[in-house]
Amino acid sequence: MATDVTVPTDLWEGDLEAVITNWLASDGQAVKQGALLAEIMVEKSQFEVTAPADGTLTITQAADAIVRKGDTIGRIG
Amino acid sequence: MLDQQTNERRLTIARAMAEAMAQEMRRDPSVFVMGEDIGPFGGIFGNTRGLIDEFGKDRVRDTPISETGFISAAVGAAMDGMRPVVELMFVDFFGVCFDAIYNQMAKNTYFSGGNSSVPMVLMTSTGGGYSDAGQHSQCLYGTFAHLPGMKVVSPSNAYDAKGLMTAAIREDNPVVYMYHKGLQGMGWLGTEPGATVHTPEEDYVVEIGKAKVVREGSDVTLVGLAMGVHNALKAADKLAEDGVSAEVVDLVSLVPLDRETVRASVAKTGRLIVVDEDYHSYGVTGEIIATVCEHDIGKLKAAPARVAFPDVPIPYARNMEQFCLPNADKIVAAYRAMQKAEG
Repeated sequence: MATDVTVPTDLWEGDLEAVITNWLASDGQAVKQGALLAEIMVEKSQFEVTAPADGTLTITQAADAIVRKGDTIGRIG
Repeated sequence: MLDQQTNERRLTIARAMAEAMAQEMRRDPSVFVMGEDIGPFGGIFGNTRGLIDEFGKDRVRDTPISETGFISAAVGAAMDGMRPVVELMFVDFFGVCFDAIYNQMAKNTYFSGGNSSVPMVLMTSTGGGYSDAGQHSQCLYGTFAHLPGMKVVSPSNAYDAKGLMTAAIREDNPVVYMYHKGLQGMGWLGTEPGATVHTPEEDYVVEIGKAKVVREGSDVTLVGLAMGVHNALKAADKLAEDGVSAEVVDLVSLVPLDRETVRASVAKTGRLIVVDEDYHSYGVTGEIIATVCEHDIGKLKAAPARVAFPDVPIPYARNMEQFCLPNADKIVAAYRAMQKAEG
């Protein structure tokens, strides 16, 4: 069963938009739960997105995409 | 060797620099880091994130805005047996502390008749492209590389960034470590995906003074460093669409300069274009062209060309700054002009 990779909802205050600055894992790569997957930025502050499960990563929102809290940016299956 | 397919580990240059410093601090208690906002804030370019949590404020020292004071202090600490890594936040700020850098750091080994060495790293950010105006956007590679007594490096990707930082910390001579802001992976400084590459976790050294052929070709040699390498690689892609085979040389280090790798490449291709985000005149581009011409001009099929920042203060207005910056299209145009001149 696939698990969504989502933008965490508890990293910053308010409903500010974020941008995916870097994917540190590649599409199709095997990842382990807790591994660092991506960096996202809000007003010059960077936050980390980690893998919610073991499996193969599918990236659905590329670097430079504008995202909000809770948005799905990838899938691990 | 790590298997890149199953153990891929992509890092930004910011993370790679921090990882190298952390590993050297674990290995060697004489290594410490000092600079403005490098402690709890983690460096405004992200390159000291996490260090203060592991090593504490005695080894990761936030300084006041007093570059003359803390860079001079680093020189003294280095001569007294420590290995400081000190940050000049923007290279543009060198104006307030250059005596500490080029009269003390660069020359004290010589002045002491070799009785003292100055094993310190001066890390400093370079480059523009994100509209931060003329006092936050310069490269000044030529300024530092011109003055004897300092090694000068500038990585184009995270793998080299980590290995060069490790080499710089272990080096007994002062090293100026110039990192381009647009390659840091920080988002607000622009993003260059090509700089975020597989970077092994274990410590390793990238040799200071050795250039790398990062793309092989036979028709023209494109030489650059840091952001210039990425511009050259994009230009090589465009030239390839027209059947032109471009070789790309990443200088990696400016001092010592690997003249042999440049000459060997031009001996093969016969054509040379040098790319540099520093100013056009009296800089890296002229030095590379002289390196080839004074050696054997007979190898050249065309007059060399340079794609550099024009000799003007860096504009704040986005359209004006972008007009001035080197890019892939300007490199392609330089090659076309070269072809036309050849007839």
